[in-house]
Amino acid sequence: MRIETEDLVLRYGETTAIDGLTLELEGGKIYGLLGRNGSGKTSLLSILAAFRRQTAGSVRIDGRPVFENAAVTSRISLIRDNGETVDIGTAEDAIFFAEWLRPDWDGAYARSLLDLFGIDPKKNVKEMSKGQRSALGVVIGLAGRAPLTMFDESYLGMDAPSRQAFYDALLADYMAHPRTIIMSTHLIEEVSPLFEEVVIIDRGRLVAHEESHTLLARGTAVTGPVAQVEAFTAGLKVLGTRRLGPTASAMVYGDLDDARRGQAAAAGLDLGPIAMQDLFVHLTGGPGAPGAPGTGEESPAAELRTGETR
Amino acid sequence: MRFPTRLLAANAYFALLLFAGYVVVVAVIAAGVAVFGTLSQSAWEAAVQLPRWYALFTGVALVRQYLPMYVAHGQTRRQFGAQAAVTVALFAPFLSALITLGYLLEALVYNLAGRPQALDKVHLFTEPTQVPLVFVEYLLEFVTWIVSGTFIGAGFYRWEGGGLLLIPVGIGLLLLNEGAVGTDHLGLPFIGDRLALDLPHSLGLALGVGAATFVLGLALTWSIIRDMPIRNRKS
Amino acid sequence: MFDDRSPIYRQIAERIKADVLSEALKGDEQVMSTNQYAAFYRINPATAAKAFQQLVEEGVLYKKRGIGMFVSPDARDMLRAERRKSFFTDRVDPMVAEARAVGIPLEDVIERIRELEGR
Repeated sequence: MRIETEDLVLRYGETTAIDGLTLELEGGKIYGLLGRNGSGKTSLLSILAAFRRQTAGSVRIDGRPVFENAAVTSRISLIRDNGETVDIGTAEDAIFFAEWLRPDWDGAYARSLLDLFGIDPKKNVKEMSKGQRSALGVVIGLAGRAPLTMFDESYLGMDAPSRQAFYDALLADYMAHPRTIIMSTHLIEEVSPLFEEVVIIDRGRLVAHEESHTLLARGTAVTGPVAQVEAFTAGLKVLGTRRLGPTASAMVYGDLDDARRGQAAAAGLDLGPIAMQDLFVHLTGGPGAPGAPGTGEESPAAELRTGETR
Repeated sequence: MRFPTRLLAANAYFALLLFAGYVVVVAVIAAGVAVFGTLSQSAWEAAVQLPRWYALFTGVALVRQYLPMYVAHGQTRRQFGAQAAVTVALFAPFLSALITLGYLLEALVYNLAGRPQALDKVHLFTEPTQVPLVFVEYLLEFVTWIVSGTFIGAGFYRWEGGGLLLIPVGIGLLLLNEGAVGTDHLGLPFIGDRLALDLPHSLGLALGVGAATFVLGLALTWSIIRDMPIRNRKS
Repeated sequence: MFDDRSPIYRQIAERIKADVLSEALKGDEQVMSTNQYAAFYRINPATAAKAFQQLVEEGVLYKKRGIGMFVSPDARDMLRAERRKSFFTDRVDPMVAEARAVGIPLEDVIERIRELEGR
């Protein structure tokens, strides 16, 4: 489904969660929504799913307003870790209501997913492990087959094997029943191969919206002797620099044409790609950015890997 | 609008289980009293003080659990409101029928045991076997307690601690009903006597005020939930 | 399964080319579908499609509408010719540079090559 927001603002209390966000997603793809803690991911998804009404600006899905618009909301599903759709008794109870309220519900698929994740339908959700509860949310989200399905970090509570099973199920079902899927995540390295496009927000504002491979192609690690690296990167958008003795590695954001690449080679510089997670960390201001608490997700190892000489 | 089959079914099923369990518990206690003391009064009359709290809880759960679930499943608040209203309108008579059935079961047992089923409190009815009056009294009570629950529940869901301010309004709804029915089951110390409306009692008045309380309670709840955000953090 | 060094689609394209060179994939043989690739590598199908698109542009694959992707009959020859063209710059020059850096006389290198040829 086509999603358009214009100058979207959401305030509650003293907090401005969304601060003038304009975004256009054409739909029919798997989108990754990346942002640090408190960047407004959940708020944005909540507005798209009519969980909340925006304070100002507009949001349109397939050209129509969303809040309290049954024709639109019946085609939207947002699964969060709060468990709105699962915390009403047993797994069976959750399915009892999902089947009744979701127009595109696929009961047979839901049962096969319960099997896949090893969820006992008779078990009370409150007695489930965090992983099982998250998995049940995933089951409800996938089997709902909503034309716009959103997962707000809801699968992060699952262990690694279950997450992989989820990615496989998601991809298979997306290919069999194409629809618009938005996933917010902290596990960028793990999930980003699934994304066709990536939206990065920070402090309620849009930082980047690109096709995944374009975003990755924009980032280049320039590695070599300090002086040459400095000379080459002058005038370019440098996201960050690391030094190891006489060697420096600078992360450059922007397209480098063949001429520039030739110059780099001539200067004895090595050009390498940057992992999406590192791009994300630097596009959102690095670990110490004011106003946003550290996410603990930054990985120096990943930076070294992209910075080493080939 | 769609008929709230499953919302109603889920609540009715749970209520039936509770009812069956409760009947057993009350019977055991009554039997104990009969063996070790004298049982001359209706045990069920005392026991049915509790179910109205369950009715209140049902109202709270409608807003705290089912509203977020409906919205998460792509339903509008308006759709939920309509379904919840129908659910309350049908669930309250269902509960009341169970209570009435309890009185009849008790009458049967007491009759066989040769015990008098005396009533302790003021009611619309004078004998527990006056089925229509018993049914109406508890119907009005449950309707009022459920809508007070939805209203207070909505207040707490939306404003957290601020919901405290709505409790007096909720109690007002309960008092309105008690005044009309002529009962004093709320048993509020001091203010119960002062605030309870001293109206001339008639069945027509009780039904009228009951209907008004139902509509008023739903309208007040709707005024809170019509644009209520679904909470980010679980409370 | 993938390193961070180059876009995933380029890595997939390289892998298919390697299969064509080794004749694991023969001329006019059908290649697995985009969706099968996506599921196998756990990547977005659009990414897999991009790899295929690149290979079609390079003439390694061709598309039969409604059926799928096939290996061009002359793909292997073409890839071999291409590799031959870049062989000296891609393989020999770096080898010579490395030999110099670690102090192996070029004579020794040549001798080794002769030895290998004689085997």
